[in-house]
Amino acid sequence: MAITESDVRHVAMLARLALTDEQVTTLTAELGSVLGHIDELQRLDLTGVQPTAHPLAMTNRMRADVIVPGLSREAALSNAPESDGMAFLIPTITGAGEES
Amino acid sequence: MAKDRLAEVLARYEAVIGLEIHTEITASATKMFCGCPVAFGGEPNTRVCPVCLGLPGALPVPNQAAIEWTVLAGLATDCDIALASQFHRKQYFYPDMPKDYQISQYDLPFCSGGSLEIEVGDEGGYRTTVGITRIHLEEDTGKMVHVGGSEGRIAGATHSLVDFNRAGTPLMELVTEPDIRTPEEARCFARKLRSIWLALGISDCNMEEGSMRVDANVSIRPRGATELGVKSEVKNMNSFKALHDAVAYEIVRQADVLDGGGRVVQETRHWDAGARRTSGLRSKEEAHDYRYFPEPDMVPFAFDPEWVDSLACRLPELPDARRDRYIAAFGLPKHDAALLSAEYAQACFFEEAVEIAGADRAKQIANWMLGELAARLNADGAEIADTRIRPPMIAEIVALVEDGAISGKQAKDVFAEMAETGDAPGAIVEAAGMKQVSDTAAIEAVAAAVLEANPNEVASYRAGKSGLIGFFVGAVMREMRGQGNPQVVNDVLRRMLEG
Repeated sequence: MAITESDVRHVAMLARLALTDEQVTTLTAELGSVLGHIDELQRLDLTGVQPTAHPLAMTNRMRADVIVPGLSREAALSNAPESDGMAFLIPTITGAGEES
Repeated sequence: MAKDRLAEVLARYEAVIGLEIHTEITASATKMFCGCPVAFGGEPNTRVCPVCLGLPGALPVPNQAAIEWTVLAGLATDCDIALASQFHRKQYFYPDMPKDYQISQYDLPFCSGGSLEIEVGDEGGYRTTVGITRIHLEEDTGKMVHVGGSEGRIAGATHSLVDFNRAGTPLMELVTEPDIRTPEEARCFARKLRSIWLALGISDCNMEEGSMRVDANVSIRPRGATELGVKSEVKNMNSFKALHDAVAYEIVRQADVLDGGGRVVQETRHWDAGARRTSGLRSKEEAHDYRYFPEPDMVPFAFDPEWVDSLACRLPELPDARRDRYIAAFGLPKHDAALLSAEYAQACFFEEAVEIAGADRAKQIANWMLGELAARLNADGAEIADTRIRPPMIAEIVALVEDGAISGKQAKDVFAEMAETGDAPGAIVEAAGMKQVSDTAAIEAVAAAVLEANPNEVASYRAGKSGLIGFFVGAVMREMRGQGNPQVVNDVLRRMLEG
């Protein structure tokens, strides 16, 4: 499965990455070799093999519904680039997919 | 929009409607993947931690209670419960999700393949079954406030404020098959689902506060066609009426587009309750490219069938069963039984009152609840839990009327006062000296005086104008300041006039 430049641009858009043309060229080649490796795996006969949901052979790790203290608001906001002291402050959303 | 316009459109087109219903599991004490408390509102960003803020290195651990509530929801709607299940990541970029992905479920939801039968319309209505594709569990998003634009909308905003208190709240999403055909069916389905969730105790299902949110996928096709039309997804309905009206609007809008030779565009549309219309949301995003993959931070689930059976034992009596029991045990009309059983808090109120007053007075209790009490709640826009009226008060007022201590009319006055003050009916009756007079001798004395004072009317009555009985009853009641037992007054007057 060959990857095209337009695939790379599409994925970059979904990931909100602004790539230069050179980067698109480089990444098309690099991602192409990654997918080439996946292609080799795709050719394996996996009849009767269950998909691996997780590399650890564990199931059912859950917690009880019990409140534990979280962060103070001050701590929560301390690493935010901007806040109004109560909420995270973010710039205008352009090209917003939807309104809330 | 005129009702007949919808009927005219539905005569030519068949509407195909599916619902997506998100319900916050407000019964859960903590969030889906961390120990922060679940609550509504509050000071922004005061119920947050590294997990629900999506800080690097924080690891989610699923809340077992939330999974159990979801399985219960599935069992109550006839779903198959998956013994092998897991969470997936759903990627999208929006600032209300701090991780830039939402932990949700993809091809292995906890519940699938269910159904729910609904009754549409009252007596003379019909039944139809709506398939339930799946119920899965995910985390709710944070809330954003857009500042600088008009009415808090994005358009024109200079910046936005993000509050993550809600982020991570357990959110159950139910998706129906496209089996719904009319706005009324959509409303009936959502109502019934809400009554079941309330009976299970999963959520407060408050549509205005957003703990239950209903989106509708709507398309239309010419009657007789088998190919599906292009659908739109309608959002932002915060009441059952809004759901009904938005779906009705959308059906007619699509018919207008098709009738005008146009094509319906697949899009998300926003219901504006004020303008009573839907409008399209411009979207530059290829919104459905979510790139799901298994959540590597959590291991999968392998459930034991016995665990599912043990949850099934926790299923309470559901609204339909409750309704049938009210009909069988108390002889309530089906309509009354359905109304009382649909709302869990109301059903509990009713049963507590019946417990006190006795099953033979259930009908009267139902009448008070669906009459005076419902009218008052409607007028105040209140819930039954908000009023000062408690079940023992309804039981007492019914007993006062049934035992003849007060008249039906007096009871209404007592009810009004009790609703204001929260005082017991007996105390109100006592204080107002409102006791009904059923004593025949006392009434006869007043009646004799009234007849004597109105000889012309007495003559007319005796000459055949029997409608004058109302005049005499009114006069006696006035003399007795409304405290005469109307039935006894009536009997006494007839006997004296005709004897």
